[in-house]
Amino acid sequence: MEIVIALFFSTLRQAAPLLLTSLGGLFSERSGVVNIALEGMILFGAAAAAITVNRIEVATGGQVAFWIPWVGLLAGALVGGLVGLVHAIACIRYRADQIVSGTAINIAALGAPSIVLQVLYNNTSTSQEVVNRLPNVPLGPGSVSILVIVAFLLVPLVWWVLFKTPWGLRLRAVGEHPEAAETMGVNVIRMRYTAVILSGVLAGIAGAYLSIGFLNQFIRAMSAGAGFIALAALIFGKWHPFGVLGATLLFGFAQALAIQLQGGDILPATIVQAMPFILTMLVLAGFIGRSRPPAAVGKPYDK
Amino acid sequence: MGRYFFLLVNLLVLLTMLLAPWAVPMREFDGTGYLLNPLGPINPQGLALPEGLTFGWIGPVFVLWILLLLVASGVLFLPNAESRARGLYVLGGLGLALFALEALLFYQAVSAANEAALAAGARRPPLRRFALSLGMYAGFFYSLALLLLARMQLPGGRAFLVRLRGVVVPVFSLLLAVVVGALVVAVLRPGLGTEGVEGVGLRELVAGKLDLVTYTFQILFSPILSLPGLFNSLAFATPLIFTGLAVSFGFRAGLFNIGAPGQLTIGALFAMLAGVYLPLPGWLLLPAAILAAALGGALWGGIVGWLKARFGANEVINTIMMNYIAASVLLFMLAANEYRFFGQTVRLPFKAEGFEGRSEEMQEGARIPLMIHILAPDSTFSWALPLAVVAALGAYYGFRRWELGQRLLLTIVAMVLGFALGGLLPGFPVTISSALASQLLNGSFLIAILALLFYNFYLFRTSAGYELRATGLAPKAADYAGVNLKRKTVLTMVIAGALAGLAATHYVLGAGMDGTYRLKTAIPASVGFDGIAVALMGQNMPLGIFLSATLFGVLLAGGVSLNAQLGISNQIIQVLQALIILFIAVGGLLPRYFTDPLRAAQIETEAKAEQEARQAKSAPAGGN
Repeated sequence: MEIVIALFFSTLRQAAPLLLTSLGGLFSERSGVVNIALEGMILFGAAAAAITVNRIEVATGGQVAFWIPWVGLLAGALVGGLVGLVHAIACIRYRADQIVSGTAINIAALGAPSIVLQVLYNNTSTSQEVVNRLPNVPLGPGSVSILVIVAFLLVPLVWWVLFKTPWGLRLRAVGEHPEAAETMGVNVIRMRYTAVILSGVLAGIAGAYLSIGFLNQFIRAMSAGAGFIALAALIFGKWHPFGVLGATLLFGFAQALAIQLQGGDILPATIVQAMPFILTMLVLAGFIGRSRPPAAVGKPYDK
Repeated sequence: MGRYFFLLVNLLVLLTMLLAPWAVPMREFDGTGYLLNPLGPINPQGLALPEGLTFGWIGPVFVLWILLLLVASGVLFLPNAESRARGLYVLGGLGLALFALEALLFYQAVSAANEAALAAGARRPPLRRFALSLGMYAGFFYSLALLLLARMQLPGGRAFLVRLRGVVVPVFSLLLAVVVGALVVAVLRPGLGTEGVEGVGLRELVAGKLDLVTYTFQILFSPILSLPGLFNSLAFATPLIFTGLAVSFGFRAGLFNIGAPGQLTIGALFAMLAGVYLPLPGWLLLPAAILAAALGGALWGGIVGWLKARFGANEVINTIMMNYIAASVLLFMLAANEYRFFGQTVRLPFKAEGFEGRSEEMQEGARIPLMIHILAPDSTFSWALPLAVVAALGAYYGFRRWELGQRLLLTIVAMVLGFALGGLLPGFPVTISSALASQLLNGSFLIAILALLFYNFYLFRTSAGYELRATGLAPKAADYAGVNLKRKTVLTMVIAGALAGLAATHYVLGAGMDGTYRLKTAIPASVGFDGIAVALMGQNMPLGIFLSATLFGVLLAGGVSLNAQLGISNQIIQVLQALIILFIAVGGLLPRYFTDPLRAAQIETEAKAEQEARQAKSAPAGGN
């Protein structure tokens, strides 16, 4: 029983960043822009959050205060949104290949934090540990970070926004048939900018969760593929909030299981670590259900 | 509008010349320098130049530059296009001459001072780190820009640039990336020589920052200036050529292969298994090991291709997933000897003893020699490689009439014969410096060149390659023309994977990682991502891939000393790569006719029509 409870909480913790990122990707892809840069946005967000909190702590002399982690979260969201803006400008304004642009951001996310870390901490792979972490809230027999709760509450909210509001209808129209949406008076370009920036903000929050919620420092490449798995969850979840919830719970469970098995007698850790990625490939191959992307996804829009 | 922009550029150049260091005759190891400037030297740390060394000519030369800038500003407002072009050509030429004069004066003064000091009994020359700097570079690039602008004034100028877009877009993107990279460095690091000095003025601060930025890029590009540096750069470039080809090959068929890191890893694993364990005679072992490297990569790429062809699974995410899986497989094989499976203990023989995760050593026969040992074994220059190249080229270009297949076969025979014959010829002794002997450039570089040639011939000289490119350009049309798209997808990923896998020949069989003939878990698989930048920068062309791989090789080699001297992480190169990819993706922020082939064609047609109209006008009595 203890193992089941531990596995349950571990699943929630592992699924939360995937869920946040995946819901962000949902906006972007529903608007017609492929966002393979989610991985990089998580890393930028994580670095921004950890570094901001650390700088505040240094400036205030190691003070523990309620507001400090929230400023870090804000910084993570902001930087994530800025990176989203870069991706949006490249893909929308300059009609760049969306995958190439996303790849550029992912590569930058491996290098850029290291340069800043080198200047601040004279080391290229980790930031200093922070004291002010995002608060945990009690949940039944255990506790989880507040962002885990937020992530799961976002699911019905995103569903409501996408399927019950005019804005959501417009967003979906833009991703399915931008020309038709434009003739109905929807500003396609603005919708896409909003959606891509929003996906950056959510991925940045996921990053902040990793660096100042789940852990207490930034580590180079700490997302370890979460952005890509979130993308797979999006496909598996058929670009629907509740589908995404199910998919991220499945991936989160796989990761939680991997952690539980580590150090045990059952399977070597190196093999267990590869399991979520193998699962992702099986999902993508359609062994576990087919899905259809938004019709206009990946195509630059020409007026 | 364009003209006022030009005036703004002139102003910017003038400002740069006023504020930036023109040349640095003397520099400490930490970067602090004595900066020359027309308004007087900038020297906050109080370095002392050797006696008698003065650079009084900088002032007058600066006046000449001001004149040149003024005249250029005027010339662009001339009404006649022809005279504008002529004026700009002359000014550009003058500017280049002026730059050459500056460089000459500077280097002469420095070497004269060094010689004088040596003659006076100094053991080492007093000036060891000296170089031109941003102020002079600004003049040089401005002159080049004038020449380009002159060409633009003449009819068909824009079409001329558009025709060269395969060069214009990457080069312009590189420039933009350098500018952004410079900004990043300038923001993050204090200016050289100004940190911790009391009462530094604004001029010193600005000059220090500009010097920092210039010196950063000088260090990054410095490997091209020495033979060991060049060897080092090519050693870094070798795996980039392979991975660049792997990515390009996918691009050509319309597939995005982000899986080069994983393909490289599995290729390395296969090469290691063959090189360590295959019981083959020496002459067969190396080819078998090289083939194994290709096979491993082909397998890893082929799986993704098959998943795409069979299930329509997106290759982008799958190749990324395969990277993570490959990393796990490598760790599983080499990180430990013992594992527990469901309570059972399983032993693996692959990891060699010791703390580090590494394989046993390759057998003697599976090792690729260092390049320096191929060029000059036992410090004696060997004719083998030069003669092989000459024979191959001679055979290829001497038999133009032959059918391509026979011609290539003959070329290979000629190459082998040339190599054997050259090996028999008496060489001459050469001295190899220890710096050169320690470079890790190995025979894998030659395999990379062969891979480039394969890429070129397969894609552009065979019908299979034609089909592949057609699939990439217009899959529906290719399908209609009878190309089997699914088979093409699998084949493309197999070949792309094999190309990436061959990069293992450098790391494992050629000991290109650290000089030991082993596979280590620390193999830098991320060069697979660098391949994306190489492919985009090289515009998927063989020569372009070679040049861009070499460029990144130089930067990577230079990045090593950057960290030691200026405390800037060599991750800056990764950021530069990312920026280059991003800027190429947005077409270098250039107008759309540089990236859209249809619009480019339109520009060229317009230019042609214009030219014909002009010819008709200038010869009105001609036809009727």
